[in-house]
Amino acid sequence: MAKTVMIVDDSSTMLMSLKNSLEIAGFKVVEAADGALAMKKLQTGSKPDLIITDINMPNMGGIEFIGKARGLSGFRFTPILALTTESQQTKRDEAKKLGATGWLLKPVNGADLSKIIKQLLPGA
Amino acid sequence: MGEALEAYLRIEDAIDGSLEGVIRDTESSAQSIIKHIRRLYDSANTLASYLDGTSLQVGDLGKSIIESVAFLSEVGTFIDRLPAKMEHDLKSVQAVVEEIKSLSEMTSEVKGVSLQSHLLAANAAVEASRAGSAGAAFKVVADEMRRLAATSNAMAVKMNKGLSRAQEIVKNGLQSTISESSRQLAEVSHAAASLRKLQNNFDDMSQYYKTRFSVVIKHNEDLVKDIADALGQIQYQDVVRQCIERIRIVAARRNEALRGLMDPNGDDSACLTELPVQLELILDDYMTEERKHCHSERQSRGGDSPKKIEMF
Repeated sequence: MAKTVMIVDDSSTMLMSLKNSLEIAGFKVVEAADGALAMKKLQTGSKPDLIITDINMPNMGGIEFIGKARGLSGFRFTPILALTTESQQTKRDEAKKLGATGWLLKPVNGADLSKIIKQLLPGA
Repeated sequence: MGEALEAYLRIEDAIDGSLEGVIRDTESSAQSIIKHIRRLYDSANTLASYLDGTSLQVGDLGKSIIESVAFLSEVGTFIDRLPAKMEHDLKSVQAVVEEIKSLSEMTSEVKGVSLQSHLLAANAAVEASRAGSAGAAFKVVADEMRRLAATSNAMAVKMNKGLSRAQEIVKNGLQSTISESSRQLAEVSHAAASLRKLQNNFDDMSQYYKTRFSVVIKHNEDLVKDIADALGQIQYQDVVRQCIERIRIVAARRNEALRGLMDPNGDDSACLTELPVQLELILDDYMTEERKHCHSERQSRGGDSPKKIEMF
């Protein structure tokens, strides 16, 4: 059965690009335009196998979202990747402390992303 | 100066509007490209599925031909052996014909014997008449012998005719049938050989198309990889969008600071004195913010550049 990836980004281009890349690689995709909408989906039944989130977003940014998502039951061990233009080490450390699994800089190559996800999700 | 500043700020507003338009246009263009790329991928996927299906069908057809040719080869082998078998049967038939010929010769001998019997009976009849009444019984025997001889002779003639007819039938009828069958069997054997040749040609053709399919499938795989790369590169539109938005933010702050000079209630000289400090602060904030973001290959090629992928 295909694994599900949730993508969180305020850019519709990013959502569209990631959605198509992931679907071509054989994943199902759930989208959210910011951290708040993503939290709502997680709290109302969405059960992705992996989450990819932007950092700089309106309403709820990626760092806050990572911390809150880790607090939800059922998502303590779900891989969460940050995908951003942010390159500051302090932001990376903060994300890591809150439970992020990895940090990727935009733009990310479709093949690289697929490879990373398959390493994090054995059987994908 | 107030008018000059106002004119300058109007230019800035226009530029800001254009930058906003650029963001919208590039976003729209990027999403259109993504849609095209996706259609390209779907076409490549359809082609790959079609090639897989065709390859399977060719494989099934090949198996079917191989099975048919194997069966026909067995038939061909059997047919190849038939003329020899029929030749053998022909020899048996010829042996029968020879036997018939021998029987025919035997009937000739029977005819000879019955003729001699007839002559003997005739002589006996003559002698019996010379003997008068004493030879009457002998005459009866002689007459009976003559009748038996005649009957034997008639039977011998009839048998000879029958045997001759049988000989003709066997010699002429069966031999021509066997000859004709041999000719037809040779043609069928030739057909089996042609079918074997067809199988060889099919094998060659199948191998040729298998090679072609492999090349096309490889090209298709490369195409899919390039599609994945292109989708990744399209993300650069978002990187550019963020860069432009940071520029718009710093421009707005600068313009706000400059508007302070136009405030009729403000102290012109104090504003002018503070302006460089304000602008310097705006510049520092902007450069600090810019350093937080890596948005080009050029930036990430440096020695201290951050890792593009870091797993914790």
